[in-house]
Amino acid sequence: MRVSPARAVLVAALGCAVLSGGYRAAAGQPQSPAHVADQAGQAAEVPAEASAVPNGGRAWWSPGEARDLPQAIEYENAHGRLTLYNQGGPVETSGHPFFEPLGPNGRACVSCHQPADGMSLSITSIRERWEETAGRDPIFAAIDGSDCPSLPQGEAASHSLLLERGLFRVFLPWPPRDPWGAGRIEPEFKLEVVRDPAGCNLDPTYGLASDNPMVSVYRRPRMVANLPYVVHRNFGVGPFVGKTGEPALRDPENGQPVNMNLMADARQPTLGTQAMEASVTHLQLLNGLNPAQIAQITAFERQLFAAQTRDLHAGDLLAGPGGRAFGPRNLADGEIGVLGNNITRWVFPIDEAWGEPQARLTAEQNARRASIFRGQRIFHFRTFWIRDSMHLNTVGLGNPTKRTCATCHGMHMTGLDTANGWMDIGTTNLPWAREVPRNPWTTERERMPLFRITCRADLPPHPYYGREFYTQDPGRALISGKCNDVGTIVMQQFRGLAARPPYFSNGSAATLRELIDFYDRRYNIQYSEQEKVDLENFMATL
Amino acid sequence: MLCAGALSWASASQARDVAFVACPIVQDTSNVPCWLSEHGGEVYYLGIQSDVSAAFNPPSLGHLALVEGTVSEGERICGGLVLEPVKVSIMPALSPECDELRMVQPGLELPFEPPRPPGPSSGRLAFAPPPPAPPPTPPFEAKTFEIFFPFEGTVDFKTPDALQAVLAYARAVGEVRLQVRAQRAAVRLSDGQVIAEREGIAAVRAREIGRMFAALGEGIAQVEVASSDVPQLGDWRQRKVEITVTPCDEAGRPGC
Repeated sequence: MRVSPARAVLVAALGCAVLSGGYRAAAGQPQSPAHVADQAGQAAEVPAEASAVPNGGRAWWSPGEARDLPQAIEYENAHGRLTLYNQGGPVETSGHPFFEPLGPNGRACVSCHQPADGMSLSITSIRERWEETAGRDPIFAAIDGSDCPSLPQGEAASHSLLLERGLFRVFLPWPPRDPWGAGRIEPEFKLEVVRDPAGCNLDPTYGLASDNPMVSVYRRPRMVANLPYVVHRNFGVGPFVGKTGEPALRDPENGQPVNMNLMADARQPTLGTQAMEASVTHLQLLNGLNPAQIAQITAFERQLFAAQTRDLHAGDLLAGPGGRAFGPRNLADGEIGVLGNNITRWVFPIDEAWGEPQARLTAEQNARRASIFRGQRIFHFRTFWIRDSMHLNTVGLGNPTKRTCATCHGMHMTGLDTANGWMDIGTTNLPWAREVPRNPWTTERERMPLFRITCRADLPPHPYYGREFYTQDPGRALISGKCNDVGTIVMQQFRGLAARPPYFSNGSAATLRELIDFYDRRYNIQYSEQEKVDLENFMATL
Repeated sequence: MLCAGALSWASASQARDVAFVACPIVQDTSNVPCWLSEHGGEVYYLGIQSDVSAAFNPPSLGHLALVEGTVSEGERICGGLVLEPVKVSIMPALSPECDELRMVQPGLELPFEPPRPPGPSSGRLAFAPPPPAPPPTPPFEAKTFEIFFPFEGTVDFKTPDALQAVLAYARAVGEVRLQVRAQRAAVRLSDGQVIAEREGIAAVRAREIGRMFAALGEGIAQVEVASSDVPQLGDWRQRKVEITVTPCDEAGRPGC
């Protein structure tokens, strides 16, 4: 369906308002958010009628339900129980812009940031919503809840990436907008579509050759909790990106540099600008949020902390001494934005006493605690050779570097990177990225788009992939235009993992074990079976 | 880029100086790995893995490295003659033949405790940063700073630190004009060959440094960039960008 002429005029008229609504951009600072005007054009193209959504589901929060969110609320998951803790106290969600369906497609922020899923969205919840609503829940909206808006909506095949991997379509202008000027960046590489199973990159309306050229990639929604850690301005945050030297994005409200760890491609500097973009792209609220709504949303987001508090086999994670890593209240009280890759603070502090047998616990609980404690030690101390990972092996450690998980996942309490955290571990770049293996005996087809990247001849080749290589998602390079950024993704926090599979930005690890197996293959770690079990048990408690 | 040795060479290599392009080699130990390189039948020790605070940053397997150093008279480390000081640059072309990672060998250990183990630290960086320079004081006048790069290198993770003195001076002055001048370099190797950095790299250096300053905005009234693509033969000191900070009062308002 094409947009009506009247709506197109509305979009054109609102383009500038979307960009500037609620923000003032100081001289020399990025206009906020530059690429959203392009996205608004595509958001306006897609039908956005709200579906009739029945209430239901185990713990599902539908937009506009007017339920109260208590200060602490617990939800069961496959590994135990997650607690969502609101530092600011209970919240009445009626009228709250995080919970209300502000746009025409019936979605609210909570649609994809569900309390039971650690304020992300698990594949289980997605599939349950599909079954319970016959595909009519707003999360399946055509704009990005389907593989491409041009596909017949309401058919499972048209929403395959969401249903099979938990992926939403992210559409970004190509070439990218220059965040420091009014024009566009001249990319350091040629981007060619090699494979396009969803058809969106080659679509005449929504694709790269459309009037509003867009590249479509598919990513998981990130966790909206523990965000003071994500947006901290402490260690490693300065006017330049610590790993590349490029200028850091700045907060348009106050001109201060930000850590750029908020989104998979670091395209938005603050919670406020992210909310603005999300309202346009995900909610199809074409005139965006107003300043009061942004303030209310970001204040709410900053006071949420989420973590596992109970393990199915270990019991109450906070019982006994030494479990300083566990639970959302420890997160809320933790030191924010500091290095934990040390034996003074630790990334995830668990004292030895916690892992020792305790008389009041069962044998099974004590055994699982011992395994979790071993997993914590493996995370911090088990060395392996990290090789050919852009923005890790290029920052003075050597290639390869003999290090541990905590090297990259070094921020105290979250496992984030304290500095600007995009790097390439191979989740989206070939040959490491997961895809359906093709052979004469299978009819299953590849799911992800595939792009050929050809780095410009007048620049050095990519140091690890060469002049020409392939990716399912160029990641940060879709924003920076840099060849070396292709496939680099901002790492995510390690919290609430049990509540929100699948993992990685492209949902390519269905379980924690698959995540561990990916690293084992990628870096030839050669974990023993026991090490894998201990790591999985540890990660499931975070 | 290999060139005939037609460029002038101001000072011939000293007896104990070496400059060569070869594959780096990783020699693991029971602690952090050593980085070595072989040239002319000799093994050279370049340094160890530590962290971002180290002056020596190990190179990359998969790439040749330009090694420029002075042979030390001290004991061998990890079986290699020690080069100190040493500059190691990663050559940009892919060299898959550079892929040697030697496992831990009995008896081959570091003769010192490394400042940073391969796992969690003791709570500090491997090397303490130098004490901060005293804040610039008036009278302020035009002042030129030099920023150095690895061979074929452009702005990277070390550049922000290298610019701190420039930023401190510019902020102390107030409103300034910046002139960024970059140059391309060439190096004569121990075997007499001269290698030059790729054409255009000076312009890239100038543009990237200029972009860093322009993005800062406040206080920087104007950033001018210029570059010379004529290879300057010499050591690592030729691979540089000069940044001249001129107070706007001195430069004259129209120029600012």
